[in-house]
This record gives sequence, C-alpha cells and structure tokens, in this order.
Amino acid sequence: MEKAGWDGFEIGAMLRSFDGAIQDIATTLPEDRAYSQANSFTASVADWRINKPLFNKDYCIDCQFCWIYCPDMSIISRDKKMVGIDFDHCKGCGICVEVCPTNPKSLLMFPEQKDEDEALAQWPQKEKKEKEAGVE
Amino acid sequence: MSEIKKIKNLKEFSTSADRFEGANLLCPGCAHSIIVREVLNATNDDLILSASTGCLEVCTAVYPYTSWDASWIHIGFENGSTAVAGAEAMYKALKTKGRLKQPDRVPKFVAFGGDGATYDIGFQWISGCFERGHNMMYVCLDNEVYANTGGQRSSSTPIGSSATTSPAGRVSYGEKQNKKDMLAIMAAHGAPYVAQVAPNKWKDMVAKIQKGFAAEGPVYINAMSACTTEWKFAPEDTIAISDLATDSLVFPLYEIINGSELNITYRPKNIVPVRDYLGAQGRFKHLFTKQYEYLLDEWQTRVDAKWVQLQRREEARV
Amino acid sequence: MADTMELRDIEVWDGNMAAAQALRQAQVDVVAAYPITPSTPIVEGYATFKANGYVDGEFVMVESEHAAMSGCIGAAAAGGRVATATSSQGFALMVETLYSASGMRLPIILNVVNRAIGAPLNVNGDHSDMYMGRDSGWIQLDAYNPQHAYDLNFIAFKVAEDHDVRLPAMVHQDGFMTSHTAQGVCTLSDEVAYNFVGEFQPMNDMLDLDHPVTHGVQTEEDWHFEHKARQQHALMTAVMPKIEAAFAEFEALTGRKYNVVETYQMDDAQTAVICMGTSVETAMEVVDELRAQGIKAGVVGIRVFRPWPLEQLAEILKNVKAIGTLDRSSPHGTVGTLYNEIAGSLFNTGVKAVLNNYIYGLGGRDLTKAHLVGIYQDLQANAESGTLTTPLQQYIGLRGPKLSFF
Repeated sequence: MEKAGWDGFEIGAMLRSFDGAIQDIATTLPEDRAYSQANSFTASVADWRINKPLFNKDYCIDCQFCWIYCPDMSIISRDKKMVGIDFDHCKGCGICVEVCPTNPKSLLMFPEQKDEDEALAQWPQKEKKEKEAGVE
Repeated sequence: MSEIKKIKNLKEFSTSADRFEGANLLCPGCAHSIIVREVLNATNDDLILSASTGCLEVCTAVYPYTSWDASWIHIGFENGSTAVAGAEAMYKALKTKGRLKQPDRVPKFVAFGGDGATYDIGFQWISGCFERGHNMMYVCLDNEVYANTGGQRSSSTPIGSSATTSPAGRVSYGEKQNKKDMLAIMAAHGAPYVAQVAPNKWKDMVAKIQKGFAAEGPVYINAMSACTTEWKFAPEDTIAISDLATDSLVFPLYEIINGSELNITYRPKNIVPVRDYLGAQGRFKHLFTKQYEYLLDEWQTRVDAKWVQLQRREEARV
Repeated sequence: MADTMELRDIEVWDGNMAAAQALRQAQVDVVAAYPITPSTPIVEGYATFKANGYVDGEFVMVESEHAAMSGCIGAAAAGGRVATATSSQGFALMVETLYSASGMRLPIILNVVNRAIGAPLNVNGDHSDMYMGRDSGWIQLDAYNPQHAYDLNFIAFKVAEDHDVRLPAMVHQDGFMTSHTAQGVCTLSDEVAYNFVGEFQPMNDMLDLDHPVTHGVQTEEDWHFEHKARQQHALMTAVMPKIEAAFAEFEALTGRKYNVVETYQMDDAQTAVICMGTSVETAMEVVDELRAQGIKAGVVGIRVFRPWPLEQLAEILKNVKAIGTLDRSSPHGTVGTLYNEIAGSLFNTGVKAVLNNYIYGLGGRDLTKAHLVGIYQDLQANAESGTLTTPLQQYIGLRGPKLSFF
C-alpha cells in the first residue's frame, strides 16, 4: 500500500480484509475473493526464501499432508488434489518436503534460482528401503 | 445451533478455504500458523477473533496489512480474552434488541494468546472471562517462552530450558521452575470443555475444536506450538519435533469435560524416551553434559508420573 | 424491550444516581464495569435497573478496571453503545486501555467520579485521576453538580458517537462532593432523553459479518506518527463544533445552557479565579459577596478540559488584570496543570495579566469561602501592583508552616 499522508486512510488504523461485502467467506476460495489491498494475501514474502520447494505430480498421492502442515497457506489444493505451490506466500521452510510420504518424495527443496524443468528432469528415483537393499 | 462441519479425512479437510492469509510475518516453519489454520478451518461459521500481544498478533496485523479474513481485534498483552468477551456481550445485546445486521448467522468468538499472555500477564483476565461464562474459545499458542521479544522465560517454560532471562550458564541449568498446569486450572473453573492439542495430530485437534465450538460457555484449548526460533531446531522439523513431543508424552493429548471427566485422546504406539525429545532442541543442549545429566532422569520420571496420573484420573471418571 | 421508568420533573438525586439514570436512558448496549469508591453507586444503580427490567443491554461485572475498559473496547469495536464508570486507583489501572480506546477511535463513555490517587490511600475527591487522563486522547467534560452529571452524559454520547468524531469521552464529577450529595435534578423523560442521544450508528463494526475488519494493528515509525496526527486532528477540529452544537440543541430542549468555558461575572472582572468541579460554584458565591463590596471579581470554570479551549480562554481573559489558577491535584515537580494551561493559552496574546497558582483540596480537604476570599485578596493586590505580590505557587488549607514555591 502506498504510504499515505495523515489524512489519507481510515480512522483508528482500521483495516478491511475485502473490497465490498463477502457472504460465504468460509466456502469461497481465494480466486473468488475480492481481497482489499490491505489483505496480506496481496503481498509477497518470496524474497524470504533461500530454498524453494518444487512439486512433482508424478509421484503425488494427494494425501494432503503438505496442505495441512504448511504454515503459510502455500500448498494449493483444489477438489482434494494437490495442484501446486503459491510462491508469493511460501517462505521456504521445507515442512512440506519433510512430511511428504511418497517414495521418491513429490516435493523437494531446491535453491531458489533452480530451473523447474531441470529439477523435474533430475528428480531422484525411488529409494529402496534398507530391508530390500539387504536382500539384493 | 449451527451445523458442525463434516471433516471425515484430510482430503475432505483440504477443500477448506483458509481465513488466515499468507505473507504474514511469522517465522518460516512456525507452528502458530498451522494451529490457527486447523482451528479456523474446523468450522464454516462466521468468526470474531482476538489476539493478545505476541508473535501471532505482531506478525499478522502490521499496518497496512492484515492476514485475517474474519473480524479481529487486538488491544494489549493481557486482555485478548476480555476483548472477545466484550464483543460477545455486544452480540448478545444486539441480539436481544434486534439490531444484528445478519441475525441468522451465529459467529464463534475465539481469542488467541501466547503462553506469556495466557500463563502470565493475562491470567486474571482469562479467569474472569471463564468465571463469567462467556460463550468463547480461548486458544493458548503454547511455545513455552516469550518468543516475540526474543526468548524470555514465562511460567510455561519447562525446567532446564535455557531462556534469555533464565539462561543456562556455568552454575545454572537454566529455568528452575516447572511448567504451570494451565489445563487443570482452567478445568477447575468448571469450564464445559478444556483440551490439550498439538498441530501434528490434526484430526485430534479438529475433533476437539469442534467439540469446543459445540459447547455452551467458555472453552480453553492449550495448543503446543513448537518454536523453531526459540526451541532451536531447523524450520522444516516443526512437525517432527511435535511428533516427539506427543509421542514422548511431554505433551499428552487429553480433554476434560465439565471440569471432571478426563479422556486421554492419544496413546502413542511406541512411547519415545523424553531425552530424544529434549535432545532434538538447542534449548536443552546443556542438559546433555555430565553436570546436568541427572535432570534428564528427573524429566523422564516427571513425565511418567504425569502419564500415570492422567490414566488414573481417566479410569476414575472424576 | 426494557420498561420505561416514570420520573418526576425534578428528582432528588446525587451525582452517581444522575449518571446511572443517564446511562439507563441512553439505552447503553454494553456496560462492562468494576466497582470502586466513590463511583460504585453508578454501577450499583445500573445493576438495580437491570435487575428490575429497566435495562435490556448487557451488564458485565468484570474482575478489574483494566478488564472493564478492555471489555468496553471489545464491545465498542463489535459495534454498539458502550459505557462504564470508575475512580482513582481504578482509573489508574485503566490508563493503558484508555489510550487503546482513543487510538482505535471507539466512542466509549466513562463516568469518572474524581478521587485522589494514593499513596497514601484516600477515598475522597480531588482531581488527580482527571489530570492523569488528560493526555489519553479522550474528550473530558466536567460536571460541577448532579444536574451537570446527568446532562453531560447525554452530550457525551451525542458528541463521541458522531461519525466525524468517533472518540471516547469522560464525564467527570467530584467524588462525594457531587457524587454523594443529593440535589434537585431536572429530568428528561426516557423518550426525550433517548431521542436526544439518538440511535447508535455503527461504524467499522466487527459484528457486520459481511465486512470483516481488523482493529488494533501495529504501526511502527513508518505509520504511527500519521495515525496519531489523524487522531489529534479529529480531537482538535471536529470535537468543539460538535460540543457547541450539542449544547445548543440541549438548551433548546431543556432551557439549560452549557458553555465550553463557563464564566461568572467576567464581563468587567479585574480578577478571576479559574477552577473546576464543585469549586466553581463555591467561587461564584464568594464573587457575589465581593461584588456587593464593589470588588470586580469573576469566576472561570473549565467545562471542556479536553480538547482544551485555548482560544475561548484567551478571549475571556483578555481584559483581566490578575488570574488565580486553582489546581486540586499535586503537580509533583512543577506548577499546577491549570496554571500551565492558562499560561500557555495567554502567551503570545499580549495579555499582561499577573498569573499565580494555588494547590488546594487534596484528598477531599474542604475549600472554604474564607480560602477564596484570601485568594481574591491576593489577586486584587497583584492586579493593583501589576506584578506578583505573592509566591507563584501557594498551598492553601494546609496545616503547618506556609508552603509555597517559585
């Protein structure tokens, strides 16, 4: 928000979450909400990240562990499917990667500058469990 | 009475539309945010929220931004409970007088506060709200330290933890007092529902929040909030540390109904040694020395005794 | 629906009952309160009205004054008419939240029954609590008797809740001297009183579920100054015209006239006493006696303490030769508040009046007519010599050796 002068904002430092009225907020997805410019949804913390998570949908089982444990509302799930990462709000904590149960993981951390296609091309293969490895 | 939101499994839960927004200023990996999401997403009802001064407040309403999609108020450090109680009183008054703008919608009133705001400075205000019986939920985001101001001890800080005002040093093992049993105190108010929750056990958490929302009267929720910054672990390990906390029974998950009926809601299949939990965090690092090793045994004894006590109370049904 | 209470045209009420009745008639939505002497009967009176069906708003008895104002803030932000009462130590405990209420622009009405602040502990009336509130961003109106306490509550609601104002307001009365002294009070019917105050008009209300709002944000060095400036702008420019309009409307309704600054025999006065609370009426009696002796004395009473009526006072005092400022509070390390405020009001105006200061009545000590006669004698001497003939600050009514400073 532009830094207004003393007469350029609402009294009491009050902020509105939305422009206009919103009735069914609990069932209205972000893309259908009229966020006000005061809503932090409109801001970005992308520059906090050193490493970023990348998502490989080939291995994802839509368990939604990443969705529930993401502290930054940055796992985008629609119709019970994981569809991607919100890179405006992801701070790069890495929790999503840690809680991902697939083998190989469907989410991995990469340096912020890493090219996504390149990362997907180099995605690790399924790791054999120790037991299986011992048998071979 | 409004309908309870159906949340059969995590896939169904993931269709929730968050009412807490990103680009807040909480640390990467902060458990506060995970807890807030689980609480807010447990209902589709309208919400009136408050926060006491602390990490959550100071990171989610820094002008000119708000991260809240429901009406929210902050006054001071000690009075987040009373702020929402005042709003609840106004709701009742306007309902009586027929002046509610949306008379068919019944909002839930929820106050958030850290352990400093709850166990320490806001204790009297919370007690007052519970004694008066406001229809509200108080959620303590318990990270056992004044994290917002850089890690000073609170009365929730556990023995042996190194905090900036109870630091470990050559002749001190850090915090000397044991953590206050806030749940027992709030249950003793005769609250219809009090519970301890942890964000890693999301299903247990959501079930308890829904029970709390369904109760008439004041509800206290003590939510363990693993703090990457002050407990000193890597941000990606928040859930792993939380698992150690619940599986070592340092944070047992239970509820107390109407001040008497105690139910344990999570029994770990494999109970983890307390030292594994302590050892994973920098705040307890100094305990793993010859000088202070005896404290690790004391810790285990204390946690075991509490677990036995909880089980006895559960069996006794009193 | 609350029952209507039938009142006689004139009721014998003390200041506390007058305030409690005004709160009832304003149909306050939420009163969150904690009792403290001498304001307790306001809360007790209101509780009795509630218990007998005359109040249908919520009455929340909390566990401290801090919680009382905290609850009032939550209720006001939720969107409705809110009021409470306190005194002294309770006021002091509330101070943190007073700044929150004004900064968040919430029109709460606080009846302050003025009382000394310990240590040593004292339950009686002085102006220490009123003075403690003077930088808190609230409108402060001062009643001199139970009638004023009743009337000024209606004025306070009307002004504070105006959308151009949206600032909280205190109605002050002197502990015991007004709060517990029964006098005839001209009443308004419930209907007339409520219609004067008007229906509460919500603004930025949390309970408007279609329009979520965030109240009580954090602002740092990049925003705080602007928000405080905006608050000050409202207090300095919007409030006085609204008060004057409300006074005019109230006079048309009741015949009772209030002024931002009250004056008595000031048209040709050479000497003037400036004071607040019950002392104003005592000084008026003394002036009558002095005038009978041909002494041109007058009285100035502060009705609106915040925002401070600087220009009005400069105008009223422009021809006066000597002014005595009377402060019923220990200034602890400087001259009295009224001395400072009046000096500040007259500086730069060319007024050459001799100004001095009296500290009196601490902890409920009586201010007698004899004290005031002595003060006017000092002022007369100052007026005649055109310079201070006494110490600048004197304690009056005090046992022991005479105490003065500067």
